[in-house]
Amino acid sequence: MLDPKLVSDLVARYMRDTGLPVPAPKEALYRWAEPLRLPREGPRYLYTGGLYQLMPYIQAMVKYLEKMEEGRAGRLALGLAGRLAGLGGLAKAVARPDKGLVAYSESVLRGIAGHLRRAGVEYAYLYEDDLYSGVILHDLGLDEDFTRHANMVYRRLRERGVESVITVDPHTTHMLRSVYPKYVDGYSLEVKTYIELLDEAGYQAKSGGEAVIHDPCLYARFEGVVEQPRRLLSRSGVEAKEPRRSRRMTYCCGGPIEGLAPSLSKRIARIRMDELRRVSSRIVVMCPICYANLSSVAPEGVEVVDLALVLGEPGA
Amino acid sequence: MPSPLDRVRSALMDEGLQEALLRAATNNQVKVESLLRERPELAEAARRARRAKDEAIGRLEELIDEAMRSLRAINAEPHYAETPEEAREAVARIVGSGKLVVMSKSMAAEEAGIREYLEELGNEVWETDLGQLLVQLEGGRPMHTIAPAVHMTRERALRLVNEKLGANLPEDAGIEEIAGAARRFLREKIVKADVGISGANALAADTGAIVLVENEGNIRLVTTASPIHIAVVPVDKIVPTLQDALTVAIAQAGYAGLYPPTYINVIAGPSSTADIEQVRVWGAQGPKELHVVLLDNGRLRARETPLRDQLRCIRCGRCQFECPVWVHTANNWGGPVYGGPMGLNWTAITWSMEEASKLAFLCLGCGRCDEACPVEIPLSRLIRWLKTQAHRPGRS
Ligand code: SF4
Repeated sequence: MLDPKLVSDLVARYMRDTGLPVPAPKEALYRWAEPLRLPREGPRYLYTGGLYQLMPYIQAMVKYLEKMEEGRAGRLALGLAGRLAGLGGLAKAVARPDKGLVAYSESVLRGIAGHLRRAGVEYAYLYEDDLYSGVILHDLGLDEDFTRHANMVYRRLRERGVESVITVDPHTTHMLRSVYPKYVDGYSLEVKTYIELLDEAGYQAKSGGEAVIHDPCLYARFEGVVEQPRRLLSRSGVEAKEPRRSRRMTYCCGGPIEGLAPSLSKRIARIRMDELRRVSSRIVVMCPICYANLSSVAPEGVEVVDLALVLGEPGA
Repeated sequence: MPSPLDRVRSALMDEGLQEALLRAATNNQVKVESLLRERPELAEAARRARRAKDEAIGRLEELIDEAMRSLRAINAEPHYAETPEEAREAVARIVGSGKLVVMSKSMAAEEAGIREYLEELGNEVWETDLGQLLVQLEGGRPMHTIAPAVHMTRERALRLVNEKLGANLPEDAGIEEIAGAARRFLREKIVKADVGISGANALAADTGAIVLVENEGNIRLVTTASPIHIAVVPVDKIVPTLQDALTVAIAQAGYAGLYPPTYINVIAGPSSTADIEQVRVWGAQGPKELHVVLLDNGRLRARETPLRDQLRCIRCGRCQFECPVWVHTANNWGGPVYGGPMGLNWTAITWSMEEASKLAFLCLGCGRCDEACPVEIPLSRLIRWLKTQAHRPGRS
């Protein structure tokens, strides 16, 4: 188990210096969209909040910290005196995120962009203004830093003339729709997930087969995104199956505490994995954290796939 | 003493515990889910319980006074304790020393360390709830709010009753035989006891009536068999009326998955008889004296913080069984008395904000507890607030 105080300090520091929770290059957030040449102005803006793109870097950081935690030497390096010395190593480790995971995240985002276009949703992309939402600061209870960051993000969006955003993951959606209003004075943004928009548009992708749905906690319990993905799947020819615990009583993938208590996090993921694979060997997720945590415990022959990819290959 | 995080770590490595918890939690989840589906009146009871609790929290000082007056009016003796020490002392003054004392599971009594204190004073003290007795025999802590021995396997329970109660059961003795051995041992103690100590599910301010829900039947015995009954009642259990108290009891039983409850006890004063010349005298078949020790221990103060919402809790324990983290840790993820989602908040209220805020970082924020709670306590939001308290200057 890692010291929450240490992780909090580390994250807060990176956030203050770079606006990102881990030492990742800024372009990492919008690189995925470069080949797409999406319009820069429109009635709605795709705001990814960077969670998909940062997942590979966060994973690399967690792995590094885990290693440090294991050895006594690591503990010393992360001790008060050695903290700064440890950071150089961390930056280097994080600079080499898993390539497969990077490619996966980018293909999900391109998939989403393509579905939106095919569904006839008119939108623009923020590119350099697609900033990280600060969700980790909120999760760690770092309210002062979070308030500052949320206000900065909101200001940037408004300066860009944004009034309506399309989100792509449950954590960012929850931040912008339900949490930001409590931290940002005069907050007003229309926030919709791409899933809701595709559903409203009656979107029908060409797909097939069957899959079991893993509802992300925040979509199901806090954001009312429950039936939309089911309708999208069934319209697209995918038979959606339910695990024992689904919809509002869905079960967490364990991901949120991966950075602090990796072994506990894995145990939770395994319980959920067992429950899901009993229903189908194809598991639909809608969140990069669920993807990372569940796929890390997926046995041979079990496939964890993002909804955007289940709905059809990216071909924007 | 191992730190709470050390306890969590060893819980994770204890495969027997992991298995026991997973089984108990799964069974409870399935049971409660089907109960709630079949009996919509339970959700209605929960809604009414919530309203009653909200009202009570809003005028708690006033209701404490009213409850004390009502208790006196029914010939019971109220005692008010601001701290666990005061509660211990109040109980000790009534019990004295050299007595035989039987207790029915009470988390408020755990908070105040009453059993240990009475033992120190030279009393013989026994828990009569089977789970809590097992916890007493192993020298441990309650691992769930209504199932304190949820971590225990048949083998371990068998060893405890054989070693500590001299039960002499064979190695292959079943759960029924273990329960039988405990019953034989306890029955004798209960009949001879000088004092019975209980908790309460609710205390009605309008009448002074205490309501207690149970299935084992030990509470009826403990609260009637001895000449003195002491109920230790945390002030958050006070509700405006007896109707409210019964509603809370029904909702608690339903969301605990024990519905209908085998017994609901209403106790409004010591026993009495007016059979001779219509003159009422106290002490018939039940106790001659009823004492109610009201315990604050941080609750009134908690009303000024976001933890105020936790005071609605009716201790059904559902949030624990539904929590993905608790299922791997039991109350090892918690303070000395309470653990899991409700338990982190109760630990912050009754024990230590510092400890609770450290433990809060293991919360996933997944919100399953919020969804499970019959009285809509925003548990995950409160636990996130505990995290913010860890970052306050002066906290390391
Ligand atoms: S917090 Fe809610 S679910 Fe948990 S024990 Fe209390 S009443 Fe039950």
